[in-house]
Amino acid sequence: MIKLTNVTKYYKTKNKKKYILNDVTMSIPTGKNIAILGANGAGKSTLLRMLGQIDYPNVGTITSDKSFSWPMGLSGGFQGSMTGRNNVKFVCRIYGKDDENIKEAIEFVKDFSELGDYFEMPIKKYSSGMKSRLSFALSLFFHFDYMIIDETLSVGDKAFQKKSKDALRKKIEKSNAILVSHSMGTLREICDVSIYLNNGELKYFDNVEDGIKCYESLK
Amino acid sequence: MRSVLSIFFNVVTALFLREVQTRFGTKKLGYFWAIFDAMLMIFIFAGLKMAIAPKSLPGVDFAVFLSSGFLAFYLWKNIVIRSMNAFSSNKALFVYKQVTPFDTIVARVLLEVLVSSLATMVFLFIGWYFGFDISVDNFLMVIVSVIWLVVFGFGFGLLSAVLSTFYETYYKILNVALSPLLFVSALMYTVESLPVALREIVLYNPLANFIEMIHGYYFKALDTRYVDYSYMLYWTIIPLFLGLFLYQNGKRKLIMSLK
Repeated sequence: MIKLTNVTKYYKTKNKKKYILNDVTMSIPTGKNIAILGANGAGKSTLLRMLGQIDYPNVGTITSDKSFSWPMGLSGGFQGSMTGRNNVKFVCRIYGKDDENIKEAIEFVKDFSELGDYFEMPIKKYSSGMKSRLSFALSLFFHFDYMIIDETLSVGDKAFQKKSKDALRKKIEKSNAILVSHSMGTLREICDVSIYLNNGELKYFDNVEDGIKCYESLK
Repeated sequence: MRSVLSIFFNVVTALFLREVQTRFGTKKLGYFWAIFDAMLMIFIFAGLKMAIAPKSLPGVDFAVFLSSGFLAFYLWKNIVIRSMNAFSSNKALFVYKQVTPFDTIVARVLLEVLVSSLATMVFLFIGWYFGFDISVDNFLMVIVSVIWLVVFGFGFGLLSAVLSTFYETYYKILNVALSPLLFVSALMYTVESLPVALREIVLYNPLANFIEMIHGYYFKALDTRYVDYSYMLYWTIIPLFLGLFLYQNGKRKLIMSLK
């Protein structure tokens, strides 16, 4: 269960407040893969950050007894001057993995991400696609109740995309995903329920199709 | 489930190792430069001072006097400056909720202590090798003084980090204020050797007290009579608690403003 209680989140721009969420109270049932739909700028990434507990509502609370991954987005969440390898080590360490686990993680991530020599180079030399591949590969190594994925399934070539989807499908046998994607096909494939974010309001749908219809009609 | 403390240890360790990798690992002679950087400044100023005004203190090896003071001074200064930059340098890593800005400061302070310790050992070796008198009068109290200095630096660094994140001008002001400290911190002279009128002025600088304390305990011929311990205590405790208070209250705003 993810509980939003009187959640308000806004950004101050010049003199106005842009509301991402305006006094939203909602419970999202556990065990479902959630599609997040909304126009650009509606605040989907902000919502994901709040779910990942690295951003907070201005008013109200978002609570859950489940574990969340860090929000995997196109920017990756990596330290630019560190190499891919060292970034992987860093994340493993903050999750308390021991040395053996770290070795496994490095092998797995290097292989899955198909970064080759780039793995030993600083992240700042990566394209955004590479960062996403690294981030996604890394997240597969951990267990989270909810994997927060912001568009990173659409990176890489067709073969990599297929590999990612397959890996994710396997992962959601034991976890769930919260997915932002502009590919309706992907959302239909992976998710069970959907949320439509618009103008400070969250609409919950018990399936993905209705959410997509709502999003497309209001575009 | 890991306890909060073990998460803290894991995160600080991870951050510390990342700092080491960044500082020591990227260039070919990374290790060398990290220590040499600190030493270079000391050599330059010590050399200048010895050349221009080789005023000796009786019973004190002046080169050792200068080196000990400068090492301590730069330890403090680096702690403060690197703490101030800790949040922005580690911005990308806050995407992981376990990593808090506070942890980044702890990691940086630990790194500076490490670098300074290494530099000190190199200096001691050089001093011993070339026959300087590097003997310490009260080793325990010197260590206590240095630890206290580190705590002072940590608190002041934390406060500076929080303030400079919210107020850009603080950063500029501090940079300006830190420059003349080199001359008013009793690095190149003892407070005793100053004319009485100047003594009081210099002692307003908390650092001068710390340096006097370190020198006083290091050298048999010197003492700590001018050191104002309660003054040092205020300067240690107040910034630390103020920094912690502002940090706790502003933690969320801090993380959001760093995005």
